[in-house]
Amino acid sequence: MTLQTPVLEVQDLRTAFVTARGMLQAVDGVSFRLERGQILAIVGESGSGKSVLSRSILGLLPRGAETSATAQVLLNGQDLTRLPERQLRRLRGRRASMIFQDPMTSLNPTLSIGAQIVEVLVFHMGLAKAAARARAAELLRSVGLPEPGLQLDRYPHQLSGGMRQRVAIAIALACEPDLLIADEPTTALDVTVQAEILDLLRREVRERQMSMILITHDMGIVAGHADEVAVMYAGRIVERAPVRPLFAQTRMPYTRALLDSIPQLSAPAHGRLEAIGGRPPDLVEPPPGCSFEPRCRFATARCRADAPPLQGDGVHSFACWHPLR
Amino acid sequence: MADLSRAERAPRPAAPSGTAAPMDRAARNARAAAAHQKARRVGPVFWISLAWLALVTLAAVFADVLGLAAPDQSDWMALKAPPGTGGHLLGTDPLGRDVLSRVIHGARVSLTVGITAPVIGVGLGLILGLAAGYYRGWIDEVIGIVIDSWLAIPGLVILLLFSVLYGGSLFMVCLSLGLLFIPSAARITRAATLSCTGREYVLAARALGASDFRIITREVFPNIIWPLLAFVMIDIPIAIVVEGSLSFLGLSVQAPTPSWGGMISEGREYLEAAPHISLIPTAVMFLTVLSFNLAGDAMRRRVSGGRGGAI
Repeated sequence: MTLQTPVLEVQDLRTAFVTARGMLQAVDGVSFRLERGQILAIVGESGSGKSVLSRSILGLLPRGAETSATAQVLLNGQDLTRLPERQLRRLRGRRASMIFQDPMTSLNPTLSIGAQIVEVLVFHMGLAKAAARARAAELLRSVGLPEPGLQLDRYPHQLSGGMRQRVAIAIALACEPDLLIADEPTTALDVTVQAEILDLLRREVRERQMSMILITHDMGIVAGHADEVAVMYAGRIVERAPVRPLFAQTRMPYTRALLDSIPQLSAPAHGRLEAIGGRPPDLVEPPPGCSFEPRCRFATARCRADAPPLQGDGVHSFACWHPLR
Repeated sequence: MADLSRAERAPRPAAPSGTAAPMDRAARNARAAAAHQKARRVGPVFWISLAWLALVTLAAVFADVLGLAAPDQSDWMALKAPPGTGGHLLGTDPLGRDVLSRVIHGARVSLTVGITAPVIGVGLGLILGLAAGYYRGWIDEVIGIVIDSWLAIPGLVILLLFSVLYGGSLFMVCLSLGLLFIPSAARITRAATLSCTGREYVLAARALGASDFRIITREVFPNIIWPLLAFVMIDIPIAIVVEGSLSFLGLSVQAPTPSWGGMISEGREYLEAAPHISLIPTAVMFLTVLSFNLAGDAMRRRVSGGRGGAI
């Protein structure tokens, strides 16, 4: 075991929104480490807190959301939650950057592709305009855009969704960050383009020795493109393991249910697709016990009363009183 | 020759349907493209309006080198002369002053007010609306209260107040009229800013380390400027009409500086004997305001992709 500082270490992250009914605990005590060169997939259904978690890391929360004072987000050992906004701005896009779900709206429609990349390079790397432009063309080539020199002067509306997402990736990679957060980067794309974009992301992460948090609700993406998986439910990580053990030996019933809800080609035709009954719990007044208890087949009185902690052997951890065998 | 044409025909014996289909499609595409072009085109009304505006503007700019009689020079031999007599193309007014020259010099006042007032109003409204829509919170609330209070004061009172305090100054007319455009401009800007700030590219810019100032100037501003320019186009004719009304009441620039409203007012006692004195400036103002409206509509349709109703 090397004692290298992890690229990202999150300690007891809690983020709550002020709502008319009270505090909505969107992220409720999440901790994890991400080593250099690793891809961590965060999986969960809508509203499980995965996007809020990713935004909390970079301090990009919307109005009315707050991260608790006890939380720590260490990027290369530096606590981002204690940094003043001015210094945080110098880190965003430079040491950690983000890719968003919908490339149709994540690029500024009034600026050319080139201008948007050049701006980042000039701001963070202090490059001269001409040098930045050359570097921008290089970046576009590396993300697989044909004729990168010509693309620089085009506007987002002239590109397809897949091409735009490639541009967004080029912008995110421009300053060679240590951490890349991809928030459902392929949800808005065609299935055929999805695979290309995910392959591109994985290749870039490996080549540049970066780390990536891949947020998704698609277990298929997890299996093919991540090293480790954290399953989130109701603002907490409920199971965490490297990809193989997670799929081979799922412990948490919620993860099992997620896996069962993937349509299988090998399943008999016209069979019933397993869906998870019920809805996620109310995050303003969460149940006292396990948050998955109301929807869980294996729930007992203990599950109703006590919330199980996330525990394990250091490789595979899960939060459940009655783990699957 | 005969051989060649046979050779040409030879490879496609089953041609009838095979050749007809592509030709049909080509024709259909051409028709669709033409229809699309037509929908996008601005049409003759736009060009006529623009030509009139260009004529008025050029005449106003070059009034001094057109060889016209001075607007305040009286021809005592030809008082209230009808158009075309005594060397006066559009006749003279009760003091024998050349109506053409006065209409052209009056255009200077109308166009200056017509353009400056909306620019002042939209400029200030833009700053307020951007601040309110981007920062939200207490800034939004304070600006909202200021704008609502401003709206609660009748516009005419503000105009009268300015004309009593600073009567006759062209700049003050522009300023007081401009102030009246602030609330609507601020509200439009705020609404556009709100919808723009919620877009993912603004979040993406923040994720790349952009500061508030940078986001406002590079991300938000370029994306909300079009509805505001359309709003300026609507305000120009309004400003011209309001200035005309103020002149008519004697509350705008003072005599002898010619203005369209003032000229209409001067001729109103002679409407039966010499109707041209009032009607000519009225017609010129009517055509100018109409042209601004028509040209503005056409531009809005064009900007919104031929669908109309951009704002």
